[in-house]
Amino acid sequence: MPDQFAAAAPDEAVKLALRRIDEANARGEGSNVEGLEFNEIVVNMGPQHPSTHGVLRLVVTLDGELVKDVIPVIGYLHRCKEKLAEKRTYFQYIPIVDRTEYVASMNCEWGYVMTVEKLAGIRPTRRAEFIRVITGELSRIASHLVAVGTFTADLAPLGTAMVFYMFRDREVILDLLEELSGARMMFNYFRFGGVRYDLPDGWVEKCRAFMKKMPKLIAEYEALVDDNAIFLQRCMGKGVITQQDVIDYGITGPNARASGVAHDLRRTRPYSVYPELDFEVCTESHGDIFDRYRVRMNELRESVKIIEQCLDMLPKGPVQVGSLRAPYVITPPPGSCYVGQENPRGEYGTYIESDGSRYPYRLKFRDPCFCNLQLFPKLLSGNKIADAVAISGSIDLVLGGIDR
Amino acid sequence: MALEISTNPMAIGAIAARLTEEFGADLHDVHVQQPDTVVASCDRARLRDLAQRLKGDPEVGYETLNWVAGIDRITAFESVYHVYSWKTNTYLELHVEVPRATPEVDSVVAVWPAADWHERESWDMMGITYLGHPDLRRILLKDDFVGHPLRKDYVDLVENHPNA
Repeated sequence: MPDQFAAAAPDEAVKLALRRIDEANARGEGSNVEGLEFNEIVVNMGPQHPSTHGVLRLVVTLDGELVKDVIPVIGYLHRCKEKLAEKRTYFQYIPIVDRTEYVASMNCEWGYVMTVEKLAGIRPTRRAEFIRVITGELSRIASHLVAVGTFTADLAPLGTAMVFYMFRDREVILDLLEELSGARMMFNYFRFGGVRYDLPDGWVEKCRAFMKKMPKLIAEYEALVDDNAIFLQRCMGKGVITQQDVIDYGITGPNARASGVAHDLRRTRPYSVYPELDFEVCTESHGDIFDRYRVRMNELRESVKIIEQCLDMLPKGPVQVGSLRAPYVITPPPGSCYVGQENPRGEYGTYIESDGSRYPYRLKFRDPCFCNLQLFPKLLSGNKIADAVAISGSIDLVLGGIDR
Repeated sequence: MALEISTNPMAIGAIAARLTEEFGADLHDVHVQQPDTVVASCDRARLRDLAQRLKGDPEVGYETLNWVAGIDRITAFESVYHVYSWKTNTYLELHVEVPRATPEVDSVVAVWPAADWHERESWDMMGITYLGHPDLRRILLKDDFVGHPLRKDYVDLVENHPNA
């Protein structure tokens, strides 16, 4: 019988970490102190670790409390999304897209559906466009609440207070979306040429009432955190992403905007009805943990603004192109295109290549978290291990998207 | 350093014309995909050099690599690079054909650091070897996985998943 308590053989990532230690020592850059047997240790953080918010594994080389090197290991949640697309019709694939970035599934569906629409030359109806913006922004609020809530839980001073407030209010949004689509998180709501259902009776009023309450709730969150000395100490000036990092690694979303890069696809590569709406791209200048938190809080306000405008402007009419009521088979002409969509975490892009058949020939997701995670070795090295936890929380990773 | 996104960019047609003029010897099949993407292809032998020059171009300057994808075209593979120009707020989609017999192409990590993981993913899924990549390991699949699943001729066998 195999010994279940036997130490597992080191895998490639651990071997790499050990090799790097040896190389650093050989170069004379290691921190080996004469007479000490162990100076640097290699620690597996994850894949089951509360602060990684998913099955992310970081192979961390520690020198005392100091992080010397980080090797992220991903793939624990790989579900062959791109392979599955080869044998699913465009229509069958919509619910699978939900499950990539499951915290903001509305936005993921939107990105995929927009790409297919562009390929097939379908224009969604105007009412559907507004409903899409409303659901997308509701999803963004819910997602930012999860991001900030869990991140503040990682930082000791507040304990889980913030999480409870934020999840309480996120639940209201999930209820709204459930009423709309029938599902709480995996909505399967978008359709080519529109959305699946029209807004139910009284939904607009409910949504408007919650949006009216939202600014007060945001002020409540900020009152909890913004003046908290311990929170500020742990956030200010830590984990700085420079603008050069943004350029080099393709960082997008709130993480880029916190570094003063006003890159927001809703403005820079406008889609849907965003050009008609009045909102600001929130930026901060330092690029540290605190600024990333501030950008998310400000974006909550902007999203509320957008939703209120959409509710006011909501036109009458069908929510789906009539001829596409049951688009079970859709065959875009041969060709390829890439459409990026501003997900709560950054640029969520879908590249589809069609050969004119019912199935996508090649489907590729460009996931924002995948690109942001690439910066981790650079971002975490040189910090204390406790700060590394705070920094990784502030980047806001969703492993479903990274591993696909 | 201030990173400004151009609000009054060059027209995409003008960019395509400039690319043809400046890099015409290496860039083939330059055409515009509305609204903001130039699609082109290049020879794999010229890729790294071209990437360096595309990045350094004073007027367009494709400084950020957005993603890399491998595509199986049955007769050959293709490595697609999607890059972004901050100066003009436009994209370039660069297709590089990689023969099936020797699926190798130069790595562009030295030019665009973001290529690191994307090339690893492309190797993992499509089996395209990126020469000169600092750390070409599997990224999404297990270290001991056999085969490259996004190839159209991949057959999923139990033997491909040792220790699963």
